[in-house]
Amino acid sequence: MDVPNDSSSPTPGTQQPAVTISKLVKRYGSFVAVDDVSFSIQEGEIFGIIGPNGAGKTTTVECISGLRVPDSGSISVYGLSPQRDRDKIREFVGVQLQQSALPERLRVGEALELFAAFYEDPLDPGEVLESLGIREIERAAFKKLSGGQKQRVSIALALVGNPRIAILDELTTGLDPEARRGTWALIERMRERGVTVILVTHYMDEAETLCDRLALINRGRLKVLDTPEAIAAESGMNRLRFVPSQPVQDETLYAVEGVQAVERKGRVVTVMGTGDLAASLIRALADDGVQVSEIEARRGNLDDAFIKLTRDAASAASQEVQA
Amino acid sequence: MTPSLGGALGRRSRHQLGALLKVQAKLSLREPYGLGLGVGFPLVLMVLFGFISKNVAGNVGGSGLTVIDLYVPTIMVISFIAIAISLPNTLVRDRESGWLRRISTTPVHPSRLLTAQLILDLVLAAMAIVITIVGGQAIFGAPLSVGIPYFVLSLVLAIAEIFTLGLVVVALATTQTMASAIGGVLFFALLFLSGLWLQPVQAGAPLRDIMWYSPSGAAVRAILYSVFHATPPLTALLTIVGYTVVFAFVAVRYFRWE
Repeated sequence: MDVPNDSSSPTPGTQQPAVTISKLVKRYGSFVAVDDVSFSIQEGEIFGIIGPNGAGKTTTVECISGLRVPDSGSISVYGLSPQRDRDKIREFVGVQLQQSALPERLRVGEALELFAAFYEDPLDPGEVLESLGIREIERAAFKKLSGGQKQRVSIALALVGNPRIAILDELTTGLDPEARRGTWALIERMRERGVTVILVTHYMDEAETLCDRLALINRGRLKVLDTPEAIAAESGMNRLRFVPSQPVQDETLYAVEGVQAVERKGRVVTVMGTGDLAASLIRALADDGVQVSEIEARRGNLDDAFIKLTRDAASAASQEVQA
Repeated sequence: MTPSLGGALGRRSRHQLGALLKVQAKLSLREPYGLGLGVGFPLVLMVLFGFISKNVAGNVGGSGLTVIDLYVPTIMVISFIAIAISLPNTLVRDRESGWLRRISTTPVHPSRLLTAQLILDLVLAAMAIVITIVGGQAIFGAPLSVGIPYFVLSLVLAIAEIFTLGLVVVALATTQTMASAIGGVLFFALLFLSGLWLQPVQAGAPLRDIMWYSPSGAAVRAILYSVFHATPPLTALLTIVGYTVVFAFVAVRYFRWE
């Protein structure tokens, strides 16, 4: 199962969209969970959907898998509608749900056999367990499993039907670091097999490591859609920490191109901003005869970008609560 | 649809149902509420009333019947009640835990799981009937002379009615705790009305009528006539059908898979 499937692996330039969402709207009563979201997902890519809790991530993927009916907008999964062609789509879309337990006394192997029987062309349940590294719990009852094992069983159930698209919702929440790494390796292997993966997460490191492209959803709206690198570079703040040879005024620092914030802690100065901070700062300070030492630079990352992109909405929300 | 395609679909859906039956059967054996209550309980009652019958003179309440004669139908209906009341145990939990929802993401609709469970419960009900008939007649000597058409009719109607009532509990209870609470109250009410503590022939006028026109009492009455080769009263059969229609309406109206 680790052998890449050449016929279905994506070739740059000839990619076709696996999923296309256009102007999707979903309301729960008066609450608008998803508000005019449009994007498309290419075949074979790992597409991440990130956003704060309650942003509408799960609702969006539940509309793709046909578990929820959109109020307006359209969704196409390989040209099929999740509502009208429900049965056909279920055949090749594997879903791992955020919260769902198996019957307590059902054994792992039995659950996989059962799901395999549901599909037209399933994978071998034993091999799926093997590839997930959980062959040894085949005869264990679900209630005896650890959190990580349950999570892996959940992924196994999403994969045993041999899907072309796998929707994985919050799949590493509650896992220990080792289990998380193991799960990530699994998803990489799914990519190698040509499976299109839609990954819902609120872990930025997970999104950065795994995803080819990310959609950031906040309060039901699509804020950004790009590669993790591009999002981090565009919205993440670079940081430069250093010790100046003599005191420097804030004004001097703010005058440097790209600097947006300055923090001080004893002799240590930290500036935050965009662009190549180190080069421009060192040059500007050298002009004033100031040397810098103990330089520590950190490139903008997705965490910063995430916070920046969701902050405006969050402060607006807290104002609403106060009012 | 071409016949071959129809055949293929039929084979596939039989394969899916078969897999569900296997899993539900295994789970029922590991957590044998339905089995224990539905088959074990009537067995115990059979032995109990069989011995009481041997020590008590016949002609209970002027009916011309002995204790065991009267209790054969009651015990059958009690076993249906026990099986139906254990239905929410599995289904409400499977819904609450998200298992039904998990299944609904596959090509199989969760109604198939319900179908599989109902088939298994019918098998349990059949076992209970056989135990009661064989036990009542062979061991305790109830002079049964079953009139097959009415007997089958009464049983089918009774099982349909009691199982549909079980589905009403599945439909209305949102949590397993709630299902247990409703199920518990319902269980004892139905047991009483089926004549477990007091047979309708021993009861006074208002109570006897209440029992006769209750869901379990009407079922007992129809079966009682048919096991003694008599035609069940039309009112009893119509009462059962009426309840079944009402229960089915409520169950369908409020049923949720998630």
